[in-house]
Amino acid sequence: MQPLLSFSRLIDRLNEFVGKWLAWLVLAAVLISAGNAIVRKAFNVSSNAYLEIQWYLFAAVFLLAAGYTLLRQEHVRIDVVSSRFSKRTQIWIDIVGICAFLLPFVIVATRLVWPVVIGKFNSGEVSGNAGGLVLWPAWALLPIGLALLGLQGVSELIKRVAFLKGLVPDPMKKGGGKSAEEELAEFLRQQEVAVREKAALENTRKSAQGSTK
Amino acid sequence: MMEFISANMAPIMFGSLIVFLLFGYSVAFSLAACGLLFGFIGIELGLLPSALMQALPLRMFGIMQNDTLLAVPFFTFMGLLLERSGMAEDLLDTIGQLFGPIRGGLAFAVILVGAMLAATTGVVAASVISMGLISLPIMLRYGYDRRVASGVIAASGTLAQIIPPSLVLIIMADQLGQSVGDLYKGAFIPGFVLTGLYVLYIVGVTVLRPHWAPALPKEARTIREPDGSSGLRSLGVVVALSVASAWVFARTRPDTTPTDELIVTSMCVGVGFAFLLAVINRVTKLNLLSKMAERVTFVLIPPLALIFLVLGTIFLGVATPTEGGAMGATGALVMALARGRLNLSLLRQAMDTTMKLSCFVLFILVGSTVFSLSFQGVDGPKWVEHLLTSLPGGQLGFLIVVNILVFVLAFFLDFFELSFIIIPLIGPVAHTLGIDLVWFGVLLAVNMQTSFMHPPFGFALFYLRSVAPVDDYTDKVTKAPVAKVTTGQIYRGAIPFVLIQIVMVGLVIAFPGLVSSGLGKENKLNNDEIMQQLQQDRQDKPAPSMDGLMPQPAAPEPASSPSSSKSSADDEQMKAVERALQQEAGKK
Repeated sequence: MQPLLSFSRLIDRLNEFVGKWLAWLVLAAVLISAGNAIVRKAFNVSSNAYLEIQWYLFAAVFLLAAGYTLLRQEHVRIDVVSSRFSKRTQIWIDIVGICAFLLPFVIVATRLVWPVVIGKFNSGEVSGNAGGLVLWPAWALLPIGLALLGLQGVSELIKRVAFLKGLVPDPMKKGGGKSAEEELAEFLRQQEVAVREKAALENTRKSAQGSTK
Repeated sequence: MMEFISANMAPIMFGSLIVFLLFGYSVAFSLAACGLLFGFIGIELGLLPSALMQALPLRMFGIMQNDTLLAVPFFTFMGLLLERSGMAEDLLDTIGQLFGPIRGGLAFAVILVGAMLAATTGVVAASVISMGLISLPIMLRYGYDRRVASGVIAASGTLAQIIPPSLVLIIMADQLGQSVGDLYKGAFIPGFVLTGLYVLYIVGVTVLRPHWAPALPKEARTIREPDGSSGLRSLGVVVALSVASAWVFARTRPDTTPTDELIVTSMCVGVGFAFLLAVINRVTKLNLLSKMAERVTFVLIPPLALIFLVLGTIFLGVATPTEGGAMGATGALVMALARGRLNLSLLRQAMDTTMKLSCFVLFILVGSTVFSLSFQGVDGPKWVEHLLTSLPGGQLGFLIVVNILVFVLAFFLDFFELSFIIIPLIGPVAHTLGIDLVWFGVLLAVNMQTSFMHPPFGFALFYLRSVAPVDDYTDKVTKAPVAKVTTGQIYRGAIPFVLIQIVMVGLVIAFPGLVSSGLGKENKLNNDEIMQQLQQDRQDKPAPSMDGLMPQPAAPEPASSPSSSKSSADDEQMKAVERALQQEAGKK
């Protein structure tokens, strides 16, 4: 089991690393897209390459992040029924899910996509728009993203089996600290609520003084 | 046995999908697995061509190229930046002070701020959390009924779902093959009517149960004038002046200006005028304006500027809805930077959350694409169509059944799942029945809003629960003990608003004009012109779908590449416009 667990940790680190740097593409896509709109209006020029790079970036973000999102347990599920089961049953559901749902999908999709990617690479096809970008890098995102997703699936599988053997802590817990909502609530509690409470307090004090005068 | 299976593949497949989803593994992969399994069975039984799945790579590539869905990360990112920028808190403070002295005032403030936040961006969680932390304690402090207080906060937060720019409308547009811009325009009036219904409910509460929503006492006011007046007269003057300036500006425009442009530009003039007054007042220290007037003006500027940046540019035709989202996100970035609220870790977190959200949303779409490949193969859409068109009552019967279905499913599914699984099934049927798809989309969006408020799984209730006090506590300001808010109170508070939502669904069905009147006149264009334009477009293979139609503001928003399934954006665009034309013709 230990070699498998170190393999799983290696995969986790890989997707962690990918997720960390990939996130910047979100910002890049936002700025490029806003820039496109402004430049088009202001100078009446538009570049197809810049329009296309928007969706290249977007595709990169959601495809390559698939493994990272799985690592963070963020692929939503309908847990109306399963949340009533015991932890061990939930883990078993995940094991079946990974083996019967996730991995077959990854394998079938990769096998279907691969020949197309090779074809696009060999032909060097360029998008149909004037000044458009080469297509194969976009196509290549598909198998890479699927591979990262499949690897993470294997890692999650290893962690779940190890959990059933009592070797690791609960792998279903959302990693990466608190959720965005929790963070926001905490942030607001600390910063905003405190400041506002203080203002309200001072205010009551002032009005109390005012009435005694 | 085999014969039974091959004769009933579609219903069996649909039933299995429900089992697969309830199994509790990720929705995206459950959908894909269901599609693959039945694809395999179908091929083995000789029902499906063995090359069935060969279409998958192209369809996945179609999803990657989807310009419409690109708006999802943009608006999410914008919302995440905004929630930390302090804008919501300032609004809640000031508007609460403004309305506080009247009965039910804080509740009105929550509804108005909810609507305004909804018009800047569309993140329910952020609105509910901010209001739950800022407004709920004040409401509890001054003796609001807990059910009313929690219900109004949860419901106002969900306004983000229906008032443009909202994520659900983007996805709905994509799945129905309509333009996002049209859905935005169509959803505007229903969104405001709904806000009005919420306000009416609170008015009803203040009349029937005055002690449930008391006015704020004098000592609770933080914005005071030196002379002790309310400062409202001065605010009234500012409002009157800016409305007058907007009206005067609107009158000077030529008659030919489209309504949208007229509204957007005159509002800008009016708001700009008020801002100018406030700045002059602040800089010259003339004290012409009351503190209240100055503060309200300054607090309203950031959200109004963002609304202009996003909706204004979309309605003016300067930006596509996707670019509108990017402009809004850039605006929010600049605002957060200017206020010194943005640091590296916050930025990283916002990008990280955006990335994970886009990833799971898009993978649900990938999964549903795999599912629909097989489902189409086994003639599933025909089965659904047969099932739904055979309902008694024609259009109306269909609408009622579909709305009940969505309402019930909303107890278990959130809107991403609903839109990606249900809409592809019922959209084509609605089209066959001659239902206007823009209207249909808005109707379903109003209905799906309830998925946030259904006890016990509604997300808005869940977020409110996470920030509402779970223990009795002593209020810091009044030093009085305040009881905790129980989960039952939150659930019961949501029920009136769920009912209002149902009323609203009924209103949209009864008065389709609520949606279509928002679509404005620039849609009435010469059909031949578009056809010519399209022919040309086809010949010279122009820029991606966004650009092709942009230079002609008269043309409908480019249909972008809807429903993922197709490979060529150009063909898609062609089809969508043709469909729009047919509808247009149908109306006449």
